[in-house]
Amino acid sequence: MNRRLINWTLGVGTPLLLVTAWWVLSENSTNTFFPPLSATLERFQALWLFDHFGSDVMLSLRNLVIGYALATVIGVGLGFATALVPVARWALDPLIHFLRGIPPVALVPIFISLIGFGLEMRLVSITLAAVFPTLIATVDGIRSVDSTLKDVSAVYRLSRGEKLAQVYLPAAGPQIASGMQVSLQVAFIVMIASEMLGSSQGIGAMTLLAQQSFMTSDMWAGILLLGVIGFGANLVFEVIKNKVLAWYVGSKRLARS
Amino acid sequence: MTRTLATHHHPGMENSMELQENPVALGTAAARPRLEVTALSKTYGSGPNAKCVIEDLTFTVTTGEVVCIVGPSGVGKTTLLKCLAGLQPATSGTAAIDGRRIDGPPPEMALVFQDYSRSLMPWLTVRKNVRLPLRHLRLPAQEMNQRIDDALRAVGLDGSDGKYPWQLSGGMQQRVAIARALAYRPEILIMDEPFASVDAQTRFELEDLCLKIRDDFGMTILVVTHDIDEAVYLSDRVVVLGAKPARVLDVIGIDLPAPRDQISTRSLPEFAEQRTTVLSMIRKPA
Amino acid sequence: MNRKLRLPVSAGGVAAALALWQLIATGPMAGGPLPTVADTFAELAGLLAGGAFWAALADTLVIALAGLAAAAAAGVVTGVLIGSFEPVRYATAAVLEFLKPIPPIVILPLVVLIFGPTTPMSWFLVFFGCVLPIIMQTVAGVHDADPVTLDTARSYGLGRVEILARVTLPSAMPFIGTAMRVAAPAALIITVVAGLLGGGPGLGRSIYQAQASGDYPVLYAYVVVLGVLGLAFQGASALAERRLLHWHASYREVLTP
Repeated sequence: MNRRLINWTLGVGTPLLLVTAWWVLSENSTNTFFPPLSATLERFQALWLFDHFGSDVMLSLRNLVIGYALATVIGVGLGFATALVPVARWALDPLIHFLRGIPPVALVPIFISLIGFGLEMRLVSITLAAVFPTLIATVDGIRSVDSTLKDVSAVYRLSRGEKLAQVYLPAAGPQIASGMQVSLQVAFIVMIASEMLGSSQGIGAMTLLAQQSFMTSDMWAGILLLGVIGFGANLVFEVIKNKVLAWYVGSKRLARS
Repeated sequence: MTRTLATHHHPGMENSMELQENPVALGTAAARPRLEVTALSKTYGSGPNAKCVIEDLTFTVTTGEVVCIVGPSGVGKTTLLKCLAGLQPATSGTAAIDGRRIDGPPPEMALVFQDYSRSLMPWLTVRKNVRLPLRHLRLPAQEMNQRIDDALRAVGLDGSDGKYPWQLSGGMQQRVAIARALAYRPEILIMDEPFASVDAQTRFELEDLCLKIRDDFGMTILVVTHDIDEAVYLSDRVVVLGAKPARVLDVIGIDLPAPRDQISTRSLPEFAEQRTTVLSMIRKPA
Repeated sequence: MNRKLRLPVSAGGVAAALALWQLIATGPMAGGPLPTVADTFAELAGLLAGGAFWAALADTLVIALAGLAAAAAAGVVTGVLIGSFEPVRYATAAVLEFLKPIPPIVILPLVVLIFGPTTPMSWFLVFFGCVLPIIMQTVAGVHDADPVTLDTARSYGLGRVEILARVTLPSAMPFIGTAMRVAAPAALIITVVAGLLGGGPGLGRSIYQAQASGDYPVLYAYVVVLGVLGLAFQGASALAERRLLHWHASYREVLTP
């Protein structure tokens, strides 16, 4: 009881302590790289709440959400086709495995060369780079669906649609979800990279611009916002995942105890 | 289409789980074999690597009968069931229901798998597991719910229908699998070592449940088992398979009085005799 | 579908993709930013014959592997320390959980500001990107050590250090192995990102230069190289994990279905 209280205090206290330490230690900082936290927060408020909110923050987030959503749909759809149609699997397997070896960010220059620096480029880069983790996880997930479950579906003469939606999709669900989580990370990274590599708009572009013009507080404000978005996106994903896959989380917890 | 036919054959199945009064009537109606296996062979692979698992199997099962298939483990019993369920094509010979050759999962058949933990959908609750095969039968909602309730009550799982399979013990999971088969109302029920991995007490209960299903619904039941006592206790006839490749050594009629009872039936001298007959058949060097 | 058709179908898939690329490059996009297959592979052959490419490749490999090695050493030591003391585990949990989903690209502007477009900059990014997952997996592994084995070890009078070396670390190995398998390809990706966005030495910088100067066949040739390199990293790390951890239960299970 007492020990739990101590652990809880440590868990909440340490981050608070670290932030306080950052605040106090940096307060009188004249170091160009590490401006006072108060100055960073001031710039954070001035930049993102809400001067550049509509023009840059929303723009970045919209690209992220749309690109990621497209990647998920394409990844799961293509994954189903690849896993269930042998000819498609044989024809696409080598290509998929080659393409997934390419660092996702390295695709951005290619899309810049093909479609320029515009919004479309950023969206296409995010989508295509984020497709692969979901696609590969879906293929693996469906191919490892238990043969007994397949036999059960056959014996009870489930229709093709029922098999796909009621058996394959949920059975592969946990694996698809972990692929989607990696895709989310990739989408976030490529969102930043595509803005840094050739754009004047978006959080990534503004942060890099601030760095290049030595506006360190602005740069820190950008890093802070990107960090919060990265953490927040993952948190939202985790919450939804644990809700949708409650059966999986529950059975795993039971198996472990 | 076949579904409506199926219910038409067995109006008794529409009623609740009351014990049917005259199982004898079912016995006499069963002059013609329901399930007919003729010269069935199954070989995996081809050429020099070919492995013959089943060779020239012939036996029949008549309506309302419980038939057990026994044989040494690894003899290809599961392969045989997969051929009967239309999950695998036979290499030669046929399996037929009412003279119709089985070339895909037959609509009047349900299968209870050996590995209950892998045959249930872990993402569905008990009730939804039982409901899954019924969805495409397009039953009225009321009848669907009635069937599920009846099936769960028959296996003693009413009250657990909101739980997930992984929250249940092994024996209870196997009951869910049986309830799923019951709600589907098959005319032929095939079970693959259904009670192999449950404790002795549960095993007795599930064996009696199996006999009750036959009496209540007039189902034709084929059970694969490696437990000779279980085979003798359950069966009207026992099909004894010999090892590698599987062949029928003999079909032994079991005439123990009905209703069977775990204590009195098993202590009959005839039970011991039948048991010895089957056992010596299996132990006999090929 | 006949399995013998697999190889021809796979080869056909690759051939069709290359043919499609060639067709688009010579047809609708002739003279545009998309180089032909022939040009790309001619350029690739040219790269492989020259010394600059090999120097860039060596830079990339050295940075990725050095960063990975440092992250592994620091991560395992830190992870063991955190995992061995419950209060420390609670104190660090929230901080680690917050930092984990934040990719290194977020702090790239700061790191470039401090180090400039140099090898230490790339190296630090790789280290930062790889160390957190390794720490967290090690903590999980240490925490996962079988309590019965621990009790047995204590009852035989083994000392703290001995228990650590003989029980805790071996049982944490699969976790560390998994972390390393994920971290190795990530190290390569981060090195490329650091070169592409931060100007660090290696293949990333080469790609950036090719894109900036509009030398598209070279750009594509580099991306092809990166795809192959990425596959090699993934394959090597998966193989190393299997080789080193073949004794462990989670690998034995695979053999007995």
